Amino acid sequence: MALGRFVLKRALQGIVVVWGVVTVVFGLRFITPGNPISVIAPLDASPETRQAIARELGLNDPLYVQYLDYLLGLLQGDMGYSYISNTQASAQVFARLPATLELAVVATIVAVVISIPLGVLSATRRNEPADYGATLFSLAGISTPNFWLGIMLVLVFAVQLEIFKTSGRGPGFVSALSMLVTQGSAAGLLSWLSYITLPALALGTYFTALITRLTRSGMLDELGSAYVKAVRAKGLPETLVRYKHALRNTLVPVITVLGLQLGTLIGGAVITEAVFDWPGLGTLVITSITARDWPILQGSLVVIGVGFVLINIAVDTLYAYVNPQVVYE
Amino acid sequence: MISPRTLGNLRREFRSSALAKLGVLIVVVVVGVAVLAPMFAPHDPTTQNLDRSQLPPVGFSTTTNSTSTEMVNGSLEVINETNEINATLTYPLGTDSLGRGMLSRVIYGARTSLLVGLLGTILAAVVGVSVGLVAGYYRGRVDDTLMRSADVMLAFPSLVLAIALVGLWGRAAWRVPDPLVVAGITPEMPASFVLPGTVIVVVGLVNWVWFARVARGEALSVREQSYVKAARSVGASNSFIIRRHILPNSATPILVLGTIQVAAIILLESALSFLGFSGTTLSWGFDIARGRDYLASSWWISTVPGIAIVLSVIGINLLGDWLRDALDPGIGGEGGSGGA
Amino acid sequence: MLEDRAGSEDAPDGSGADTTTADPILEVRNLSTQFFTAEGQVNAVESVSFDVYDGEIFGIVGESGSGKSVTALSILDLVESPGRVTAGEIWYRNPDLADDMRDSHPEAVEGEYVDTRRVPTGVRRSLRGPTFSMIFQDPMSSFNPSITVGEQLAEAIEVQRRARANPRSTRSRTQGYGLGRFLTDSLLPSRSYVSAESRERATGLLDQVGIPDSAERAAEYPNQFSGGMLQRAMVAQALAGEPDVLIADEPTTALDVTIQAQILDLLADLQDEEDMSVIMITHDLGVIARMCDRVGVMYAGEIAERGSLTDVFDRPVHPYTEGLLESIPDPDDPAPRLQPIEGNVPSLIDSEMGNRCYFADRCPKAMDECVAEKPAEVDTAGSAEHRVRCVLAEREYDPTRALSGTEEDREREASADD
Ligand code: SF4
Repeated sequence: MALGRFVLKRALQGIVVVWGVVTVVFGLRFITPGNPISVIAPLDASPETRQAIARELGLNDPLYVQYLDYLLGLLQGDMGYSYISNTQASAQVFARLPATLELAVVATIVAVVISIPLGVLSATRRNEPADYGATLFSLAGISTPNFWLGIMLVLVFAVQLEIFKTSGRGPGFVSALSMLVTQGSAAGLLSWLSYITLPALALGTYFTALITRLTRSGMLDELGSAYVKAVRAKGLPETLVRYKHALRNTLVPVITVLGLQLGTLIGGAVITEAVFDWPGLGTLVITSITARDWPILQGSLVVIGVGFVLINIAVDTLYAYVNPQVVYE
Repeated sequence: MISPRTLGNLRREFRSSALAKLGVLIVVVVVGVAVLAPMFAPHDPTTQNLDRSQLPPVGFSTTTNSTSTEMVNGSLEVINETNEINATLTYPLGTDSLGRGMLSRVIYGARTSLLVGLLGTILAAVVGVSVGLVAGYYRGRVDDTLMRSADVMLAFPSLVLAIALVGLWGRAAWRVPDPLVVAGITPEMPASFVLPGTVIVVVGLVNWVWFARVARGEALSVREQSYVKAARSVGASNSFIIRRHILPNSATPILVLGTIQVAAIILLESALSFLGFSGTTLSWGFDIARGRDYLASSWWISTVPGIAIVLSVIGINLLGDWLRDALDPGIGGEGGSGGA
Repeated sequence: MLEDRAGSEDAPDGSGADTTTADPILEVRNLSTQFFTAEGQVNAVESVSFDVYDGEIFGIVGESGSGKSVTALSILDLVESPGRVTAGEIWYRNPDLADDMRDSHPEAVEGEYVDTRRVPTGVRRSLRGPTFSMIFQDPMSSFNPSITVGEQLAEAIEVQRRARANPRSTRSRTQGYGLGRFLTDSLLPSRSYVSAESRERATGLLDQVGIPDSAERAAEYPNQFSGGMLQRAMVAQALAGEPDVLIADEPTTALDVTIQAQILDLLADLQDEEDMSVIMITHDLGVIARMCDRVGVMYAGEIAERGSLTDVFDRPVHPYTEGLLESIPDPDDPAPRLQPIEGNVPSLIDSEMGNRCYFADRCPKAMDECVAEKPAEVDTAGSAEHRVRCVLAEREYDPTRALSGTEEDREREASADD
C-alpha cells in the first residue's frame, strides 16, 4: 500500500544519509591535528615501534583503502579496537547504548505525557491563570540549559532533600523489571526510579516546554479555524472538537518540529549523562574525545547518527499515519 | 527591506504585548552590561582572593567547617573552625571558591556568551543563507547535492558534533584588548578579554543548516514570482536576481531565525564551556561546572551564572517571539536547537 | 405586538393579530452581539429581531460586514472571544424542552417557547444538530482536512444518535471520549467514536444530496472533492441531526455560477422534503427573490427593513432597501454583487456610531430628524410583519428638511479616506 512505499522511500534516503554520516565520521580524523600513533605508542617509543603500530592500524595505506576498510568493517559490525583498552570498539559502544536509549525514551515519554495535555489546557483556557502558568513554564523550559537544570535538581532533591541518586544508573530498567517479575520485588524498580528520575527530568524539561508551546499555538490556530466552527455547529461535544479534530491536526506540525529537534534530544542526552555520570554513549563520546580514542569515538558517532536517522524515519512514518495526505503527494 | 508597514506591525505587536516589552528590556540590559562590562563590574573577575572565598550572596549566610592556614606572628598556623560566613555588600552575589566576585564574573560572562552567540549566528547565517539561496535558486542537481549534505549535517545532533569538533580541534582562543580599557575609561580592569575562536567557528559550522533550509524555502517560492521571471526574461544575471530580489525577500524569516539562533548558540556555548571545551575560563557555563564541586557548601557558585543564562535566553526568545508574531515569516518552531 | 416580549402578557403563543396562521418556530428579539477589540467595542449585531415560521425560508440580505453571519453564529451560540452575545432573546418553540426547563429555569420558558440564551450552556449546545444546524460559506475550509468526509458526517449522526439514546443526559454525547480515548483511537483505528450504523446513514445522506458513488466518496478526504460536491456533503452533514432550523450562510458564494443554482435547488428540495425552516443568509438579492418567503435587510448590524417578499421587494420604505433593489436590474439574475450605494458600511465601533440613523451618511433622503435620534423599528404599510427602521415609515420625505451639508460631508469624508 501507499504507506509501505512511503516508508521504503524514506528508508532508501536514510541509507544515503547514513553513508554520508559514516564518511564524515571517517573524515573527522583527517581534519584533526595530532597523530593517532601518539595515543597508542608510549612516549619513548622507537620509530620502529611507531612504524609497526602504523602498519598494524593500516595508517600507511592510501586514504581510499583505509576508507573502504572502515566501510567494510562497519558493514560487518566491526568498529576496530579501542586504542586505550584494545578491546572491540563495537562491544563497548553497544554496551553503552541501552543506557542512553533508556534515558532518552523515558525523557520523551515524560515530555509527551506532560506537555500535550498541558498545551491543550493552556489553549482552551486561554488568558486564564492556567494558561499564564503553562506559558511561563514553557518559556523558562526552552531557555534553561539542561546541565544547569540537572545541577539544580541535584542541589534540591539530592543534596538538600536526599531523595534521589545523583550519579550512575543503578540496575537498569530491564533487570529491574525482571526482578519484579521473577522475585515479585519492586525494590529494583524503585532503585531504578531513584537513579533515572533526575536525569530524565533534566533532559525532558526542554522537550516538555517545547511541545507545550507547539501544542498550545497549534491548538489555538486549529480552534480558531473555520472547520472547528463547523464541527461545533453540528453539535459535537467539546471533547471531540478538541481531541479528535483540533489536537489531531495540531499533532502534524508538532511531530514535524519534534523530528527536527530530536538531534537536540540526543545532544542533550550526551551532556545530561556528563552531569549525572550516566554510563551511556554520551559519557563514552566525551571520554573518547579527551583520550583521542578514535575507534570508540567514531563508533559512537556512527551509532548516534544511525539512531538519529532511524528515529527520523519513524517520525516521518508517524507523520504520514496521522496525516494520510502526505503519502499521496 | 523594512517597509513602513513592517515597522507598524512591529510597533503594534510591541505595544500590545507585555512579553515583548520584557524581552526587549532584558536584551537591552544584557547587551548593555556586556558591552560596558568594565564599568559595571565592581571587581576584576579574574583576581583571586582566598580570604574572601565562598562568600554567600547578600541575604544569605552559611556555616562552614573550614581548615585554613593563617599567618600568626610570622608563623603559619593551621586553624580548624566552624564559622558563620555572612554576606558582604562588596560582593553582592557572593564569591566563588577562589574568592572572585560572582557579580563581576556574571557581568564578564555576558560578554563571552553574547559574542559567541552573535558571531556564531552571523557565521552560520552567512554560510547557510549562501548555500540555501544557491540551492533554492538553481534547484536540480545543485539543490540535491547541497540539501543531501544538509541532511547529513542534520543527522548529527549539533551538540554532539560541536563537542567532537571543539574537543578534537583544541581551544584556539584569542585575547582581544578591551576597547574601554584601551580608551582609558576603566583602567583597573583586565586589559583584554578572551574570544573563544574554535567555539565560534564550530558553532557556525554546526548551525548553518537551519539557515540553509529557510533560505532555500524562500528562494524556491520567490523564484516562481512573476517579477523574478520578468527580471530573468530581460536578461538579468542570476547573481543579480539573487541579490536584488531573493535575498531581500528572505530577510524577515532569516532575521527571526537569527534571533532564535542567538539564544540557541548561547545555550550551546554554555554547554561546551560546561564540559571545559570552550577555551575561556570566563564563561557562565564554565562557572557552573566549577560550582558543582561546591554544591553542598556554596550553592550560589553554580546557581548564579545559571540564572544569568536563563534570563538572557528568555529575553532573546521573547524578542524572537515578538519579531515572529509581528513579521509572521512562517517558520514555526524550527531552528531553536537549544536546550543544551 | 410589543417588541419587548419578555415578561409581557403578550405570550409567544398568543399572536392574535398576525395574519400568519402558525406560531413561529423561532423568535429572535433584540439580539445584540459585540466584539471587544483593541480598537474598541464593535457592535456587530445591534438589537436585531425577526421571526422564522415552520417550513419557510427566511432570508437575511446585506453587504459584507453588515452583521449577517454574526447573527447566524449568535443564534447557534458560536460567537467566540473577543465577541459575545450581550443582549436579546432567542425563543425557540419546543414543548418538550419547555416542559423540561419549566421547573429548573422558569425564566427561560414561556408557554411552548424556550429562550435558548437563558438555558444552561450544555442544553444550548445540545440544540446544535437537532434544532439548529448551519451550512458555511466555504466548504473547503469548513471540513477538517485530515478526516474523511464520511467520518465527519457520521460523527454528526452519531452525536444525535447518542443523544436520543439517552435524552436526559448531555454527557452521553461525550461518553467515553477524552484524551485517553483519542490516544487509543489514534493507535487502534478500529476503536472509534462512530458506530457502523452512523457510517451507513452517512452514506445514505450523501446519496440523498445527490453525490454519486456515495460509498466510495465517503472514504475520501475533503481535498479530493470538488467545491460543489463538498458543499453538497456539507448540506448532508447539516441534515444529519434533522434540524428544525437550518441556517445557510452564503452557501453558494464560494462556488461557480452553474453549481450555485444546483445547490440552491438542492436546498429548496430538501427544505420541502424535510419540512424544516431555513434562514438563508446572502448578499445576493437574486437568491432571496428565488428562494425566500420573507426577508430581513441588514445594514450596519441592524435590520433596516423586514417583511414578506412583496413588502420588501414591491413596497420598500427604507432608502437602503430601495438602493439595493435599484442595483439589480433583473431580480432573477443572481450574478451581480451588492455594492449599489455610494460609500461604505460604517466601522461599527461603538464610540463612533452615535445616536443617529447609521445610514444617514449614505442616504439620499436623509433629513435633520434622521441624525437627531436613532430611528426605532416601526410598523409600516404592507403586511403585519413589515417593519422598518427609518423615519420615512411615519412621514413623507421633505426636501426642505434635507440634511444640510450632506454633499460636502460626503466629499470631505471621501477625501479623508484616500
Ligand atoms: S432614517 Fe433618514 S437617513 Fe436613515 S434611512 Fe431613513 S431617511 Fe435615510
